[in-house]
Amino acid sequence: MLRQLGVFSIAVVVLSGSALAQPSEIRKSVARISNTAEEPNYRIPWLPGAQGGGSGTGWVVGKDRLMTNAHVVSNAKFLTVEKEGDPRKYIAHVEHVAHDCDLALVKVDDARFFEGTKPFVIGGIPELESTVSVFGYPIGGERLSVTQGVVSRIDFRPYTHSTVDSHLTIQIDAAINPGNSGGPVIQNGKVVGVAFQGYSGDVAQNVGYMIPTPVIQHFIRDVKDGKYDRYVDLSVGTFPLFNPAQRKALGLPDDDRGVMVSSVLAAGSSAGALKVGDVILSIDTLPVTSDGMIELEGERVQMAEVAERKFVGDSVTVAIMRDRKPQTVEVKFANAFPFTMNANQYEQLPQFVLFGGLLFQPLTRNLVNAYRFTNPRVDYYFDYFIQREVYTKHPEIIVLSSILNDPINTYLGDFREGIVEKVNGAEIKTLRDLAAAFAKPAEFYVIDFVGAGRPLVLERAAVEAARERIKTSYNVTEEQFLGEPTPAS
Amino acid sequence: MRPFAFILLFALALRADEPKPAAPAVPAVKPDESHHVVRVNITNQNWDFMRPWGKRAPFSRRAVGPVLAGGRVLVTAELVANATYIELEMPDGSGKTPAQIEAVDYECNLAVLRGDDAKFLKAFQPLDFTEAKVGDTLNIWQLESTGVVLSTAGPLTTVEVTRYPNDDSSFLVYRSTASIQFRDSSFTLPAIKNGRLAGLVVRYDNQSNSAEIVPSPVIRHFLKDADKKPYEGFPRTGLLFSNTRDPQFRRYVGLNGNGGVYVTEVLKDSPASKAGLQPGDIILKLDGEPIDQDGNYVDPDYGKLALINLISTKHFVGDAVKFTIQRDGKLQELTVTLTHRDVESYVSEPYVIDRAPKFYIMGGLVLQELSRQFLKEFGNDWQKRAPQELVYLDRYQQDLFADGPKKIVILSRVLPMPSTLGYEELHQLRVTKINGVELQSLADVPGAIEKPENGLHKIEFDADPSVIYLDAASLRADEEALAKNYRLPATKRL
Repeated sequence: MLRQLGVFSIAVVVLSGSALAQPSEIRKSVARISNTAEEPNYRIPWLPGAQGGGSGTGWVVGKDRLMTNAHVVSNAKFLTVEKEGDPRKYIAHVEHVAHDCDLALVKVDDARFFEGTKPFVIGGIPELESTVSVFGYPIGGERLSVTQGVVSRIDFRPYTHSTVDSHLTIQIDAAINPGNSGGPVIQNGKVVGVAFQGYSGDVAQNVGYMIPTPVIQHFIRDVKDGKYDRYVDLSVGTFPLFNPAQRKALGLPDDDRGVMVSSVLAAGSSAGALKVGDVILSIDTLPVTSDGMIELEGERVQMAEVAERKFVGDSVTVAIMRDRKPQTVEVKFANAFPFTMNANQYEQLPQFVLFGGLLFQPLTRNLVNAYRFTNPRVDYYFDYFIQREVYTKHPEIIVLSSILNDPINTYLGDFREGIVEKVNGAEIKTLRDLAAAFAKPAEFYVIDFVGAGRPLVLERAAVEAARERIKTSYNVTEEQFLGEPTPAS
Repeated sequence: MRPFAFILLFALALRADEPKPAAPAVPAVKPDESHHVVRVNITNQNWDFMRPWGKRAPFSRRAVGPVLAGGRVLVTAELVANATYIELEMPDGSGKTPAQIEAVDYECNLAVLRGDDAKFLKAFQPLDFTEAKVGDTLNIWQLESTGVVLSTAGPLTTVEVTRYPNDDSSFLVYRSTASIQFRDSSFTLPAIKNGRLAGLVVRYDNQSNSAEIVPSPVIRHFLKDADKKPYEGFPRTGLLFSNTRDPQFRRYVGLNGNGGVYVTEVLKDSPASKAGLQPGDIILKLDGEPIDQDGNYVDPDYGKLALINLISTKHFVGDAVKFTIQRDGKLQELTVTLTHRDVESYVSEPYVIDRAPKFYIMGGLVLQELSRQFLKEFGNDWQKRAPQELVYLDRYQQDLFADGPKKIVILSRVLPMPSTLGYEELHQLRVTKINGVELQSLADVPGAIEKPENGLHKIEFDADPSVIYLDAASLRADEEALAKNYRLPATKRL
């Protein structure tokens, strides 16, 4: 289950008991989590997908919960947990999952599981070069495994589970292998991280990553109100200010302070507060250096780390230089960034509309992975969805992803992979718009695609006549799924 | 597997006892054939669009060129692209003369050459042209080192209209199946029918043994154009259309008959646009020839062919072509006066050949114009490997830039200098303005650079980082050091 790990080596590690408070309790409080998952089926969206899954590690947090990685429990249909010295398998279920920071809380209903366990205490950020131990159930054996290493560096890094998020990450050189995912990284008897990703041995040696405690604590605090709101961010691009001419033009002294705002996303938290060309001098009174770093708890970290520690409803105070005049603006985090189609999605049934044998689906990373589109326009709309703010015109990109061949659509193959722009003159911004347009009676359904000079035309009578025929021959059990009534926050 | 191995061995043993099969028939060589063709040796040197101040390493190729009337030799245009030296050589290598390009067209992929020594081809018999039909046998001529013609026969399998490699234009091609040896370093070879020139091989696929041939009708069109000065090129209409096969669509647009194609796009300022054609029109006839629902007409020589052939092969620039269209249910006739579309009129030029790439190095910022030739520097799979946004701008330029600008100026890379500190990693970004001047092309850069404000140049991009500044004084101070440090033969070419 550990991402990007391909080469498996068996590390022989002598566990030094003296470093740990109560070895047996710690060992008993680390569980193996086995997941039977169902992959979504984007090619035949009315049917369930293949079953998969795997196993990872979890650890006792609070009274009756286990913490693990989101990717250990993603798309779970059936979860079991086991622990050292206990023959039983316990049934568990996911209570909260945070795909943007790859963490999850798992609840075990049977209280007997927690006999002999002790909730872990969550510590701070371990010092560079200090030693940490990784507990877990990696491949290479059945029983609990412990490896040891030092803290190599602390950095802001991408989290591969969602593919689009980056957070604070700690690199360690302890062996981390598939199955270690979600396991605790321990120093002085306290959890200082959750093992979650690494590199294949083909790429780099002894590079393992753990989620540090600020991220863990953020997740725990976020779900206190019973739901996960996701991370908030500034949604701005910044450009370092090393160049003397650039500094002079922006009215800055030669003091290594400040970064320039180089882009502001219209749907992001900073829209209306920050502008391109503003210079960010400090954030929540922390001075920002010309390379975009701040000093936080003794570490030099990226400015984004301030927003990383905020929650929906919070705000930051940003001291800026605008048009050579200093001023202060408030950025309020009303919600997490609303457009997430570029991220891997989990636990969601594929949305679709089937009409006249034409399958329409909103463009998502999951869809792209399922189809491998060849239309360069689809590639562009996907890759530049955020950067070029395609979402302002198309909050959802509706793609004619495939065609169930039938006499009524046999001449329509050229439209495959087209992006729907209008139906009978009405703009199509979401899949719901499309479903509504097809629900409206009309003699002809005239579908305009982006960049296609010719519309696709379906006759209502022909669609009606073909409906049962297509449903029967292609075993279609549902003709549309538009998602949950209100999209999750 | 064992019995199989046994049988195989047995069979081989049998073979050894059999009389030797006759050697493959030696291609018939008529003694005078070599007097129709000449060797052509070409050295080319392409510009390096990644380092536009220089060229890449030169390379040489050889071809077999048919001799035409008037002391001329025909070759493919791609063979002489960016040529630095061309020479004609006797088939047996007994003599050479330097040669010049008399006319070249990279769209139809043809060129005519003329030797510096007017007497060089005196002993040669010029080839006449002939058309060929599916089923005819074509002989593809190569040359032995002795000068003897090696002729490989193969049937003409397909005649169709297809897209030629250099831009978006389509022309007639012949396809033939023949197993041609790789002899010289190119497959530019004459294809002969009954002693006459039927076409010029431009491409050969070893796996399918299939040869792509520019046919005689296209060659003759090119030669007729080549006689006119200046060379005008093949005519275009500037419209795109789609088929009308779908019966639901035909009913929707009110098409009753069998034929007709639906106009999807009419390019701005194109002949079609000037004639009043509009998207949504249905083309029923062209030059009086009925057009079927796939966009084909019935050619007297070749049968069904794409209607583009009526324009590109049958007509010349300046010709008037009658379009019979249906608009709003009524028949109309429009006359389109054909023109050639100049390659430099594209926003992102499909090819830049025989022309040095333009560039302007500002401080250390390398500014260039976007072209498909530039994108092709990213290799065979440039559409995947080149910066995706630039590929998108090139591909959809007709839609995106109908109202300008004339060219897309990009910052292709930075040659780091003290004045560009902090900008080292900027690359492949579209530059929209310099010092407030909206750039219509690279030619606007020198003028814009004359107008720094408070001693600072302001450069704006259409994406992150949006805006950067350069110190005008240190830019000037760095100029000499820049050229010296990076050994630049020039810092601009406009």
